[in-house]
Amino acid sequence: MSTSKRPMSPYMLGPYYKFQITSALSILNRLTGVFMSLVTAPLLLCWLIALASGEEAYSALAAWLGSGLGKLVIAASVFSFSFHLFGGIRHLIWDAGWMMEMPQVRASGWLAIIGSVLLSIVVLGAGL
Amino acid sequence: MNMQNPLARVRGQGSSGGGSHHWRSQRYSALILLLSAAWVLWMGVSLAGADFATASVAMSSPVNAGMVILMAGAVFYHTQLGLQVVIEDYVHIAALEFFLLLFVRFACLVAFLISAIAALKLVLGA
Repeated sequence: MSTSKRPMSPYMLGPYYKFQITSALSILNRLTGVFMSLVTAPLLLCWLIALASGEEAYSALAAWLGSGLGKLVIAASVFSFSFHLFGGIRHLIWDAGWMMEMPQVRASGWLAIIGSVLLSIVVLGAGL
Repeated sequence: MNMQNPLARVRGQGSSGGGSHHWRSQRYSALILLLSAAWVLWMGVSLAGADFATASVAMSSPVNAGMVILMAGAVFYHTQLGLQVVIEDYVHIAALEFFLLLFVRFACLVAFLISAIAALKLVLGA
């Protein structure tokens, strides 16, 4: 921990930077990750615990998942997973040093948006 | 020859010496999750709305049990690494940051252990 005041770069949201697809998808990748950390991963844990605990616990969880709120949580989880998946693929491609030119970055961003919406529709359509 | 000002060293301003470990760990766990994404989606779709008997049979397969344990490890490790970065970026109260980081590590470890034990119980039929 530093004891002196050191300069910090400005936050990406606010008056310093233009809001654009790169920053929007960056924050969305983080938001979907935090959502899955706080909601989706604990839900999967609850599902395993309920299944291992027996039929009564499993049926209670299954009933809740079938409710309106349960379906909303599932839909948000599926979209978060899909978007974070495509966002992660973009990061891995950049890490390899590819697709770093701005037109390519914007194009892969739109591909990630379209791909995650389509994947969400397919998964939710097949599962619900 | 050390070019660093001794005062900067005392203040902790400089390389931590472990710069790429977190970054690499995040990518390796992401690769595991990416490679098993198709399995996750397939299981999710095929077990959506399944009753107790169907879900129990699915989880009694050694392949599925192994995948659940592998996934739980990758998921909660990746979760811990990701939440750590978010906390380090936005929580600037040193004591709160310390306890949140500790809590996230503890919670992810416990979540992985419970997932693995539940999957083992289901596959071994205990």
